[in-house]
Amino acid sequence: MQPKLTAKALCGDKEVGKISKVIVDPLSHEISDVVVRELNGQGAERQVPICQIQEVVNEEEIVLRCSPDEFVRFPLLERDQYVTVKEVEIAHLEDHLHVEPGEILVPLPRLEQGVPRRTFFTNMTHAIGTLIALPLVFPVLKYLMKPMFKPYDNAWFSVGNIKKVSKENVGFQFKFTRGFKEAFMPEQQIEKNIWVVKATPAVQKEVYGGNDRKFFDDKGEVIWVNKANSPYIGYSGKCPHLGCGYKWRKTKNFPDGVFLCPCHLSIYDEAGKVIDGPAPRPLDILPMQINASGEIKIIDIEYKAGVNNQIRLL
Amino acid sequence: MKEDIQAVNQQNAFEKVVEFVDERVGLKTIQAKMLNEPIPGGSRWAYAFGSVLLFIFILQVVTGILLMFYYVPSTDHAYASTQYIIHEVDYGWFLLSYHFWGSSAMVVMVFAHMSQVFLWGAYKKPRELIWLVGLALFGIVMGFGFTGYLLPWDQRAYWATVVGVEIMDKTPLVGDFLARFLKGGPTPGQMTLSRFFVIHVMVLPAALAGLAGLHIFLFRKAGPAGPFRGTPEEIKAKTDYFFPRQIWKDIVAMATVFLIICSLAFIEPVVLLEQATPDPGDYHPEPEWYFLFLFQLLRLKIFGGQFGQFLGAIAIPGAFMAFLAALPFLDTKPERNIFKRPVALIGWTVIMVFILVFTVSAIINREFLH
Repeated sequence: MQPKLTAKALCGDKEVGKISKVIVDPLSHEISDVVVRELNGQGAERQVPICQIQEVVNEEEIVLRCSPDEFVRFPLLERDQYVTVKEVEIAHLEDHLHVEPGEILVPLPRLEQGVPRRTFFTNMTHAIGTLIALPLVFPVLKYLMKPMFKPYDNAWFSVGNIKKVSKENVGFQFKFTRGFKEAFMPEQQIEKNIWVVKATPAVQKEVYGGNDRKFFDDKGEVIWVNKANSPYIGYSGKCPHLGCGYKWRKTKNFPDGVFLCPCHLSIYDEAGKVIDGPAPRPLDILPMQINASGEIKIIDIEYKAGVNNQIRLL
Repeated sequence: MKEDIQAVNQQNAFEKVVEFVDERVGLKTIQAKMLNEPIPGGSRWAYAFGSVLLFIFILQVVTGILLMFYYVPSTDHAYASTQYIIHEVDYGWFLLSYHFWGSSAMVVMVFAHMSQVFLWGAYKKPRELIWLVGLALFGIVMGFGFTGYLLPWDQRAYWATVVGVEIMDKTPLVGDFLARFLKGGPTPGQMTLSRFFVIHVMVLPAALAGLAGLHIFLFRKAGPAGPFRGTPEEIKAKTDYFFPRQIWKDIVAMATVFLIICSLAFIEPVVLLEQATPDPGDYHPEPEWYFLFLFQLLRLKIFGGQFGQFLGAIAIPGAFMAFLAALPFLDTKPERNIFKRPVALIGWTVIMVFILVFTVSAIINREFLH
């Protein structure tokens, strides 16, 4: 049984005061002291340790271990050494405190008494909320997904003249600018690059394996065929590892030159074959044609990087 | 009653306004509760990281809003407007550089904060949810770094995004959708910039503010964990309130971090590279320094090929995050002293050494490439 606030404090049979406050240990959440307001004089508040309570007679009365004369020797409460629980945040204090004079109740409004449909109204609120949200899901998804998938662009772009490619089995970079129209934006010119290698028959064989290479549009129809014996091979400038731009570099280990990607250090030979590094597949070969005057044209195909097979994006 | 009326009459106008508001809002009680939070075992410098993070975030919001006064998120103006901020607008270079270095400071502080909580064993019961929300906040901070990086639309920005999105593309099942969704198409362009912009300035700030609020609410609900050593009596003897000692430590830490960010902004102001284009030219793409270890990891041959890449870029980081999320439920022993948790101490050290070694080797590789 817990004493109430305002319970009488007795010493022997004599009432010395009433409990006015309790002091709680913030760590253990246990009551450490009670504060007793004296009946006599100014009504001074004295702090009585919980161990000095001999007996809790009932909720209204407690008996202290001391005599009335000893009671006045308990220290006065130094109020400024304490804060109320309203002014301090002690986690889970309420769970442990039982000094309230029982539960405090207020009556339900008359209209709320005996309402049987609380669960019904809760469920209906959720149902109507869901009905508001549901029709929005599809439009919102479609709205956000609008630009995600585009048809392939199979236009030919002129990238330069083949005369630049002077040596065999060496990578030459061709930079080109192409128009790029996106949604509401005016057409922009973006810079891209490809690499062209004049391949010896041995390298041609390594690249094509003796078979012509066909390129397809999104309907699966052939748009171009690179002949197996064509000496010039064009590689997409996008590294098949993670999409960076690679370079033709001469290094200590490869004095004749290799394609090296500076991002994750994938190394490819002139046939586009991976010779070192993390790349999952050889360089991507582009559909390429060269006219009588030596002008190189390509279709600007991009494949997804980082996968074993070519998956066309653009 | 008479005395009360007299007391009210003696108040000056300001006190009357405060009194008026307090009566309706209960500000004084809220303030008291905010400041009178007992800190078991007393205030410490080690507890300042969370407050510092909040401080950095607030200044990122302020500088971010200021940058938006001039910045235009379109592929034909993003670069020019950022250059305009740097070269033309008064103190634009400073605000942009502060925002840039502030993001790095945020990542450093998140690392420090998580390490402190981990080493103190403060993720354990009953603080599991605080830890989980904290992990979500960590993800959001990384998302901020990734999306903000694209906005200046220079070569550095463009290529970090190209590679970053290609990595996300390797997520099983949803990867292709996710990558296209973020790019707003098959290749990066205006849609990518628009999406990164709105994620950076609207979605992530709202998410971070909300989750940080939840984080602090849960923290106050559970109470601070306190030191991992000492008897209850010792801890009680050293306990103080959030105000004034901890707040003092926090504000000193905030001022220090502020000075460091300002100094970095002065010493190394942001300089843009060439405008973004799918031709990298002589630029060697590289992510921001806090992603370097992952970047270097992907250079290893064992993380090559389609499966290796999935392993290095998705599976291992994903498994690590899942492990961190599961940590409070796996490690249910109440022991919090880090010197009595050898596995935790060794694990933490190994991860720190791993990140350090891989970051340093990425930097060495960079020198080699140049």
